[in-house]
Amino acid sequence: MIFAGIDAGSRTTKVVLLDGDGRDVIAAAVVDQGIEQDLLAESLLDRLLRENGFERSQLRMVVATGYGRKLIRVADVSITEITCQAWGVRHRMPEARTIIDIGGQDSKLLRLHPDGTVGDFVMNDRCAAGTGRFLELLATRLNVRLASLGELAGQSRTPAIISSMCVVFAETEIIGLLASGITPADIAAGVQASLATRVAAMTGQNVAAPIVLTGGVALVPGMQTTLATALGQPLSVPSDPQTTCALGAAILARRRVNGLHERPS
Amino acid sequence: MTVAPRRITLAEWDQRYATLRSAGLREPDYGGLLRRHVDDGDQRLRKLRMDNSAAALRLWNFLLTEEDRLRRSKECGKKLVGTMKDLGTVPVMSYSLPNLVAFYPDGAWWLPCLLEGDDKLLKLADSMGVDESFCPVRAMLGAFISGDRFPIPGLITCSVGATCDDFSAIAQCVESLGFPILWWEMPHRRKPEPDEAAVELPGGFRAAVEQVAIVKSELERVRHALECYAGLPLAERQLAEGIQRANRVRDTLGQLRDLCFTANPCPMPALEMLIAEMLAIHFCSDANEALSVLQELLDEVRRRVHRGAGILSPNAVRVFWVNPVADLRAMNILEDVGGRVCGTDYLFCHAIDRIPSDLPPMEALARMALADPMVGSPIDRAERIAADVCRFGAQAVVISRIPGASHCAMEGILIAETIRKTMDIPIVEIEVPSLADAMEAGLRTRLEALVETVNASQAERTS
Repeated sequence: MIFAGIDAGSRTTKVVLLDGDGRDVIAAAVVDQGIEQDLLAESLLDRLLRENGFERSQLRMVVATGYGRKLIRVADVSITEITCQAWGVRHRMPEARTIIDIGGQDSKLLRLHPDGTVGDFVMNDRCAAGTGRFLELLATRLNVRLASLGELAGQSRTPAIISSMCVVFAETEIIGLLASGITPADIAAGVQASLATRVAAMTGQNVAAPIVLTGGVALVPGMQTTLATALGQPLSVPSDPQTTCALGAAILARRRVNGLHERPS
Repeated sequence: MTVAPRRITLAEWDQRYATLRSAGLREPDYGGLLRRHVDDGDQRLRKLRMDNSAAALRLWNFLLTEEDRLRRSKECGKKLVGTMKDLGTVPVMSYSLPNLVAFYPDGAWWLPCLLEGDDKLLKLADSMGVDESFCPVRAMLGAFISGDRFPIPGLITCSVGATCDDFSAIAQCVESLGFPILWWEMPHRRKPEPDEAAVELPGGFRAAVEQVAIVKSELERVRHALECYAGLPLAERQLAEGIQRANRVRDTLGQLRDLCFTANPCPMPALEMLIAEMLAIHFCSDANEALSVLQELLDEVRRRVHRGAGILSPNAVRVFWVNPVADLRAMNILEDVGGRVCGTDYLFCHAIDRIPSDLPPMEALARMALADPMVGSPIDRAERIAADVCRFGAQAVVISRIPGASHCAMEGILIAETIRKTMDIPIVEIEVPSLADAMEAGLRTRLEALVETVNASQAERTS
């Protein structure tokens, strides 16, 4: 008996398979999002099952989360990414009191009670300047792979000041900076700092530690440090930070089957 | 046969209306099938779920026929007063004179929603340079330009000073188009100095006597203008009667709110309650009928509470809602995801409080006007909200930002911080534009997550 969590996010779809005890992750995978979110999720789920020697019949329950959660027909139930993210992080870093999740097209702050339940949350899905979209745009403009952006930023000596709060205008600013001879490394570092500032503004004051950073942006080298500087506090990144939300969905699938409430044990 | 209360679609209302008619439903002259409003352009009704009671039908019909009512009043020789940026003061004075009908041009802010953008009102406002960086009430400017959304009133009043900057700018644009406005000044309500003579205001606030005197003198100016326009003197006795009538509306609404927000299961949807509350400030152009509409709604709610019937699950999460929404669908969405409204502050709580009846009428109106939550410090408003959140036993709070509205950019944060001082409940801020369809997924996620968060905490406490 196994459980699955599907996180149909705005930029990627993530699937996590969990064993019957709810302790071990059997497999996890990420694919870029597409128009047919439902088919994409189902085919990723089938692939993971197949690669790990399982059949659909062994899948006891599937929980979908993320923006596209309502579109995932293979799911038995849908739960928001706020609840699932909290569960996934709790599984990997039980001591967490604050989660900052920066995805491709949104960012979130979750304040957790000491028992791991969500106390409060803030979401930004209106301003791309606080999301991974900003980094994607930069990578395209600098003609580098997204994965290399952190390394590039690490070479910066004087990070550029990106003054615009809007990604569209920031692009114009970046073009201007390139034209004036600012190095790509300094621009990359400047954009990372700008993104971190936007996220820090969303969090406001009194961010309880330990703080955990999740989402695809957590994979970008340097973001953890840049964001820690902006927050004035250290933060940790769990293993596989892009799939914590799908993991939480899988955990909740298991708990539902076992008749347990959606609260940490 | 008693029909179980529930929220139904417009298509279901067709059937329901036929059933009600065949059962002998008696309606006022503005009654009729809800679908006819869609034919008149109110397309949004197709996407709303509405309460299935005859009382709700009357409420909707009353709301959606205001324009007809205004035109008829004008044809009958009544004189129209546009009371802009006025949350419940000048209408009370206007309705004290027999030949005046007051209305609230600001109410046009819902037209882009109801007409699903087909009204062109916002485009007309854009053409005046009043774009989406302003509050959706800019639709009012478009309505004045087009001239086909309400009859142009012969007298327009507008409060200015400690009111919304956006609104002042929009109203000035209206005046620049050749619609003269009688401006009346509303000072910022400050805390009285320790040695300063002060009085109690409705809602528990206090203000310096000097400030009340300023507002009173401004309202006397408005009163004089109303008398000149009506061609009749406004006697103290008439004004006192007008206050009594307004208080009857407020009392009825107060009872409706208390019953609706505290009963379990929830006896009336948030959408109908939002519309009902709005009647307190403008009476929908007929003060006496507004009272009857509210009374019927209250009677329906009483019957439901008596039978233990409601429109939502008894387990629905109790949510306190701050600020009105430009897109009415937002209220449906909260209920769709397992929430219910158990308290509100739609920016005009002072218009639900009783106007003091033991004071000279103008003094009473001045004190009531000065109790407007928007003319004082946002902290005053936040404290009142926090007290109400506690009083109604809310499990969560939604603070709905009005896009572009600038009466206080930090207000949402202040309200949240003030509530958190006394209650550990989740609070979410949302922003709802006139048509939220494109961002419905995000809106739904926030509200759904809020409900999940409360349910998870609840499970923790009960385990």
